[in-house]
Amino acid sequence: MLLRNLTIPAVMATVLLACESREQQGEGSLVDDTGHHVSLARPPTRIVSLAPGHTELLFAIGAGDRVVGRTRWCDYPPAVDAIPSVGDGLNPNVESILARNPDLVVFYASPSNEPAIARLEQLGIATVSMLTDDLADFIRAADLLGTLTSEKDRSDSLIGWLQHEVSTFEATRSTETLPTVLMVAWDNPPIVIGSTSFLSQIVELAGARNAFADVDRPSLTVSIETIVERDADLVLIASDSGIPAWAERPEWRVVPAVRDRRFVVVTGTEFSRPSFRAPDAIRRVRTVLQEWQQR
Amino acid sequence: MTRWIGLVAAAIAALLIGVAVGPADLTLGAVGDALLGRGNDATVAIVRDLRLPRALLAFVVGGSLAVTGAALQALVRNPLADPYLLGLSGGAGLGAVAAIVFKVGGMWAVPLAALGGALLAIALVYRLALVSGAVLDARVLLLSGVVVGAFAASLMGAIMAISPAPEVRNALLWLLGGFDAASWSALGVFSVYAAVPLVVIYRQNRPLDLLSLGEEPAAFLGADVERLKRVLYVAASLLTAAAVSVSGIIGFVGLVVPHAIRLLWGHLHRSLLPAAFLLGGVLLVVADAIARTAFAPLSLPVGVVTALIGVPVFVLLVRRWAK
Repeated sequence: MLLRNLTIPAVMATVLLACESREQQGEGSLVDDTGHHVSLARPPTRIVSLAPGHTELLFAIGAGDRVVGRTRWCDYPPAVDAIPSVGDGLNPNVESILARNPDLVVFYASPSNEPAIARLEQLGIATVSMLTDDLADFIRAADLLGTLTSEKDRSDSLIGWLQHEVSTFEATRSTETLPTVLMVAWDNPPIVIGSTSFLSQIVELAGARNAFADVDRPSLTVSIETIVERDADLVLIASDSGIPAWAERPEWRVVPAVRDRRFVVVTGTEFSRPSFRAPDAIRRVRTVLQEWQQR
Repeated sequence: MTRWIGLVAAAIAALLIGVAVGPADLTLGAVGDALLGRGNDATVAIVRDLRLPRALLAFVVGGSLAVTGAALQALVRNPLADPYLLGLSGGAGLGAVAAIVFKVGGMWAVPLAALGGALLAIALVYRLALVSGAVLDARVLLLSGVVVGAFAASLMGAIMAISPAPEVRNALLWLLGGFDAASWSALGVFSVYAAVPLVVIYRQNRPLDLLSLGEEPAAFLGADVERLKRVLYVAASLLTAAAVSVSGIIGFVGLVVPHAIRLLWGHLHRSLLPAAFLLGGVLLVVADAIARTAFAPLSLPVGVVTALIGVPVFVLLVRRWAK
């Protein structure tokens, strides 16, 4: 319930804050998710993007043709295949980034990237670090990158559309008792999805309730006993390999939803990170939930 | 005799604690009813199919690790010896990490890969340590174990460095050990398997006493030292390999429990080995109960807890003994 009430105001508030801070700073000076001031003399023409979510976002707002480097995990849209990879996005290889001769490097905001950011800034290359853990992060990142790349019209219209879609999902949630959904990220040790993950956000917007909605973390390691106690109606698996092999293991079959094979499997990278494909992901989960409820 | 009664009582108490406590908030009455099959389905399933096999598996694994540690400490005559010393954890870890990262399918993929990796490491160490024909040199055995372990750890590091972050985290958590894969079938398979090396090691209790005097004196006193070393090494390794495959790498139990028993009980292996089995079991069952409940619903890796409760107890023992 907490998340249900928080999602939209939180998204709105973050976007408003992002806009406000930009106006206070004046054009050309923006603050990223690490508190770092980003100022560019002119719009970037050679961008290295160090997270799959950021790369997808740059393409969505129309800056894809300026992306000259990406991580080896960047997989969407298909056009990224043609862009040279610089390796990992966390604690990246500075030499590989420099070889792409960038004028802007887009990082995922993480302490492990601080040395690389310091090195690049020393060399006079602009950097920006953004989180994209949930939809609020994503909208903030879309707004910032839209401004930085001078694609503000496009990013604003996409953000407006996404916010509209999200509020429509909120408004059309079933008012009946919501089915509880267990999301298992790993089997041994058992890791389940908590309330602050994007997947949990999808499930809640689709009209269900995360069985671990009370735990404010992206994921948590628990005992199977705890999972049995939560007695979820459904198990949602976001994986491209179907119903997982552990579902056959005796200790997992103690979980009623696993024993009765109440599985919902969704595939695709739109479930693994926030993007403008999120409404489609939410719609797909809502469809399978409705199919399940009609059974 | 009173010491034995105390230890057996501690074992029973530990198993009762293991079944009575858990992240699900069940009253003692509800647990008792559930053991008899009464109560709602979820409670009965939690107590009978999760807690009971888990506590028993933790007990048998803890006992096996402690016995293995005791045997290996005598074999290489080094107090720092533990079940994972001889390259085994490296091999098992490499197998498990490879299965996790390369997404090998099948419900038993990770335990089987860990077992396979451990067996491979055992074979390699054994072959390296068999210098000049059939003589198993304890020093060479130690060195072979260390280098095979280091080699496996490097390969594991390389695989992790080129893997996506979630798989690496999952593999690291697996390596820290735990009993989340406990079930009646896992308990059954492990117990039947473990019984053989446990009996083999126990039957060597007299020669083990002689071996602690040194290889030459042991040989003078009639022990077939070369055969003894080979039998002990193979039995201890096969036992640890199975323990790793059901519960990951749980440190500390195999290192410190044998020393604790030597301080309390003396050095005769005839009583040292069974006492170490019981105390190792007690320690691991209690550690697992704490791991499951301390931060419920979050759970800790059991290997973290074994050291957190074992080290203070051991320090107290050593201080008492030193006086």
